[in-house]
Amino acid sequence: MKLNKKSSFKKWGLLCIAGAAAFFIAACGAEGGSGSKLIVMEDEADREVYLFSPMEKTEANVENVARSAADKTIMMAEEKLGVSVRYVTYTAENYQDKTYDDVALDRARSDMDDIYLLNPDTIRTLAEEEKLQDLSGLESAKNLRDVVLAANVVDGKLVAIPQEVVAYGLFINKEMFDQYNLTLPETPEDFLECCRVFQENGIKTPVGANRWWLETFVLAQAYADLYNGGNTEAEIAALNSGEKKYSDYMRPGFEFLQEMIDKGYIDAQKAYVSEAIEGEREDFLAQKTPIVMAYWGAANAETAYGKTDFEMLVIGFPSSRGQMPVMPMTGLGIGAGAKNGEDAMAVLDVMISDEALQIYAETNRVISPSKNVEVECVPALKPLNDRIQENVYVLGANAGMHVEQWGNTCLIVRELLNGATVDECMEMFDQLQEEALKK
Amino acid sequence: MSKKQNESKKDHNISLLVSIILVFFILGIIVFATSKKITTQMAASATQNLHESLDLIECTIEVILNKEAEYQRRMAQGIASLENPEAYVLHYEKSETMVKLGLIRSGEKEGVCSTGEVFTEEELDFSAGGTIDGLPVSRSYVNHMGTWAYCIKCPMIKDEQEIGTLYVEYIYDTFDKSLPNGFYNQQAMLYIMDAESERFVLKPKGMGERNAGHLNLTDFYRANDIQEPELREEVEDCLKKHRNIMFYHDIRNKDSLNYMWAVNGGTLYLIGYVPIEAIQQEGRTVNQNILFVVIVMLTAFFLCCGLYYLNQRQQIKLRREREAEREISNRRLAEALQAAQIASNSKTTFLSNMSHDIRTPMNAVLGFTTLLSRDADNPEKVREYTKKIMASGQHLLSLINDILDVSKIESGKVVLNVEEFTVNDLVSSVDAIIRPMAEARSQKFLVEVTGIRHEYLLGDETRINQILINLLSNAVKYTQEGGTIWFRMTGLTQRSDQFERIRIEVQDNGYGMTKEYLETIFDAFTRAENSTTNKVQGTGLGMAITKSIIELMGGTIDVFSEVDQGSLFRVELEFRIPEVHTEPVKESGPSEESVQDLTGLHFLAAEDNEINVEILQEILAFENAGCEIVENGRLAVERFERAKKGEFDAILMDVQMPVMNGYDATRAIRALDREDARTIPIIAMTANAFAEDEKEALDAGMNVHLAKPIDIELLKQVITQYTKHTEE
Repeated sequence: MKLNKKSSFKKWGLLCIAGAAAFFIAACGAEGGSGSKLIVMEDEADREVYLFSPMEKTEANVENVARSAADKTIMMAEEKLGVSVRYVTYTAENYQDKTYDDVALDRARSDMDDIYLLNPDTIRTLAEEEKLQDLSGLESAKNLRDVVLAANVVDGKLVAIPQEVVAYGLFINKEMFDQYNLTLPETPEDFLECCRVFQENGIKTPVGANRWWLETFVLAQAYADLYNGGNTEAEIAALNSGEKKYSDYMRPGFEFLQEMIDKGYIDAQKAYVSEAIEGEREDFLAQKTPIVMAYWGAANAETAYGKTDFEMLVIGFPSSRGQMPVMPMTGLGIGAGAKNGEDAMAVLDVMISDEALQIYAETNRVISPSKNVEVECVPALKPLNDRIQENVYVLGANAGMHVEQWGNTCLIVRELLNGATVDECMEMFDQLQEEALKK
Repeated sequence: MSKKQNESKKDHNISLLVSIILVFFILGIIVFATSKKITTQMAASATQNLHESLDLIECTIEVILNKEAEYQRRMAQGIASLENPEAYVLHYEKSETMVKLGLIRSGEKEGVCSTGEVFTEEELDFSAGGTIDGLPVSRSYVNHMGTWAYCIKCPMIKDEQEIGTLYVEYIYDTFDKSLPNGFYNQQAMLYIMDAESERFVLKPKGMGERNAGHLNLTDFYRANDIQEPELREEVEDCLKKHRNIMFYHDIRNKDSLNYMWAVNGGTLYLIGYVPIEAIQQEGRTVNQNILFVVIVMLTAFFLCCGLYYLNQRQQIKLRREREAEREISNRRLAEALQAAQIASNSKTTFLSNMSHDIRTPMNAVLGFTTLLSRDADNPEKVREYTKKIMASGQHLLSLINDILDVSKIESGKVVLNVEEFTVNDLVSSVDAIIRPMAEARSQKFLVEVTGIRHEYLLGDETRINQILINLLSNAVKYTQEGGTIWFRMTGLTQRSDQFERIRIEVQDNGYGMTKEYLETIFDAFTRAENSTTNKVQGTGLGMAITKSIIELMGGTIDVFSEVDQGSLFRVELEFRIPEVHTEPVKESGPSEESVQDLTGLHFLAAEDNEINVEILQEILAFENAGCEIVENGRLAVERFERAKKGEFDAILMDVQMPVMNGYDATRAIRALDREDARTIPIIAMTANAFAEDEKEALDAGMNVHLAKPIDIELLKQVITQYTKHTEE
């Protein structure tokens, strides 16, 4: 027993001496303790990749889930590759400012950055100008779903890859629908009837809108049959050859929008000057507006509609084939003249790897572009997700169509909001088709 | 005294504790004050550092702007001197800094642009009146490259006449390289804001977090929750007055120092914040180190206190152990002393008693011997006197036997002689001795034997007899005349098949004993009453001998007694049950029937003591027998060797003799080459009276052992028996 105590004392004593010695060595060995008067600073040559992306107007202490999801994949790339990804952001202050798409085009054309987050129309535009690199050589590109490839291949080149398959839908206040005994609208007629009931019950403008996303109504009605009728390729070929006119497809949607505007279901003037989400979010959250339109991720982000005081559901846009999700493909492209092109390619390869997309999809609860990544969506998105799982949707952008759809339709819808007639709008489509046929 | 000492010790401990607490309190205050002072100084220093850093950045940007303006002046001058300034502009290729040139001739609204487009001033806003080095600078805008830019316009003078204006577009991205890469370890946020539009036109790379407000001042306020109207008002006022300001405000739950630093006279502002923990990192590190040192010192102090306390405790424990040991030792010594005193007292008492008890019969012997010499002629008196002398001698003998017994038991030399015996015989023999004694005192003696399963048992019958006679004779002695004595032997439940458990009870209704005496009844040399005052005579050793023998047999003895009520002695013994009962060989011991006259017999006696010789000669002469005396064993052997066959009828052999003792002499005689050497009876007559002595005598070849003093009747019996045997 005594022996043990002695041994224990010895152990503790040795430990204390060892600890003191370690402190002494650490203190003497610390920087600045060498006595040298010369301090040589190494110039750190950082490998940097510039990423141009939009930035939402932030709110205090609110986590931007979508941004966090992307950040995680970028940090993964930084860690794996030893590069630093520099964020370059642009956000339009108001409708008078240059749009994000305009700035993205300018920056890509001026080779300002390496990676760009691009909307479908800018992808198409820049791809046609050969300002984007072919990404088909990336290892991670092999995992992409067919629908993603179809939307992003221009002239045989994969020019952009998304981190999520963006699906647009109608965000509805289910409780208000129940309050007025309204069933969820399937067709344009159903939708108009719902709006009528809401209006009669004192809701002056049942649909909250902005200047960016009203084209989803038009596209849903325009291409519901084209994408779900079983003759898609032939119909697109007919459009590209001029046998069929885009305006014929677009007219019902525009007329529908016009009727909505005429009946006051949409405030065209307000929509014309409103930024996405910003213009309609407040009224929707306050339950003054029962219907808005937005993308999938908005249902997860607190900065958008991720936290409501009521039961919210996301459904497809009304069409002749029922509720119709509209899926444009935003994507990450690499500038043809990117100064750090090689590193940018490596970064993008990591960002769209299955491992990164799994993290992205889990964080943001979205449909992944990878065939190998599946996550469950939030309950509000179930109706929209069910339609997508049934392969019922309309592509918001299709690289196979010679007339770019997403951006052009958006711009022409803005003209409608600004007072142009449906016929004038159809003429604009015809003109675009003619220009495309001339190329 | 002890209480006072304890109180004094307690007071001392409390004052020591208070002193220690006071010292620590003062130490704590000093450490806290030092730490606070360091924190304050470091905070001031950190704020000053931030101030200087911002001044440095401001100066850097202003130098860039001024250099740009200066260069643009020279460029305007150079272009003005050209014959075709427009051609120069149109062929200009953008540089990293100057990304676009425009030229408008004086008096015209449109001009040429380096991008090939028509250049007008309409898209540029110089209304704010900002200047750089005296040249007007436009409000910031997003240019054709999709980045934030500003335009400086400079008049082109030729021959002292203004021929036009040169517009040069600069991008804010060029500042990026001149600004610090990482500010406060990338924890700080730094933007450049166009003061007029309040738009953030540059976020230098490596600055700040990725999810803060980037758009404009309003977005910055919203993102960082800077919503207090008074604060906002003060900040706006400072911005209008182009003053540098800093203010504390939480940014994303971190206490931060916000700054707005005017650049170029307030056309641009450095906007941002730095967490307090980042700018006060050094102060915090110093305080952490102080805290660490204090904790280490406190730990060391408490460790020393702990070790000291442990050591003290160990010392106290050792001291207490030593004191306890000393106390035990003292107590033992005291007990030993007391025991020695008791023993000494007991022995003194014993000696006193013995002196009395020996002197009493001795007095009788000597007294009656005197009377005998005086009345020698009176046969009647002679017989009476010799009878009394004989009785006194017997008493002396029993006294000596008891003393020897005690001495032997105490020295552990007693060996039990285990043999087969019967309970009946035992009870009968005891009854035969005690009953006459009891009857002599008119006492009733009741014997009861019950429940004993086996008649034959193995044990030392002599010693059991001794126990019973001791107890019963005491009962007779200490019971008044006419009293009753009970003797009970009861068989108890057997613990084993091989042993019989017997309870022996001796009860009387006699004088009884006091409680005090009961405590010492079994001690040697004690007696119920001092023999000088008691009519009952005894050695006072009987109970000690009894208890010792019982314990030697593995039994127990208990005593219950009350004064004038009587006593009960209860003995429990276990006796082995013999596996096979063997009929005892009937010993041809001496019997009264065989006692014959010794007339005509002739003995050889070896005896060195003259008185004993004389006594023996007289006794034998009285019996008409002859006797030849030799002084030692050797002479006895030699004499027998020389003797004719049948010359001696027996040899009476003392044991302790000079030259050769009785045992050796017997062995020598038995070893002689004579026919009668092995048959002649040799009778040991010795004062060595113990059983072992008897055994040794028999082992040496003697026929029988008689203890001195010689009982003449017994001697006659033995001689008669052995001489008769020899004849047969």
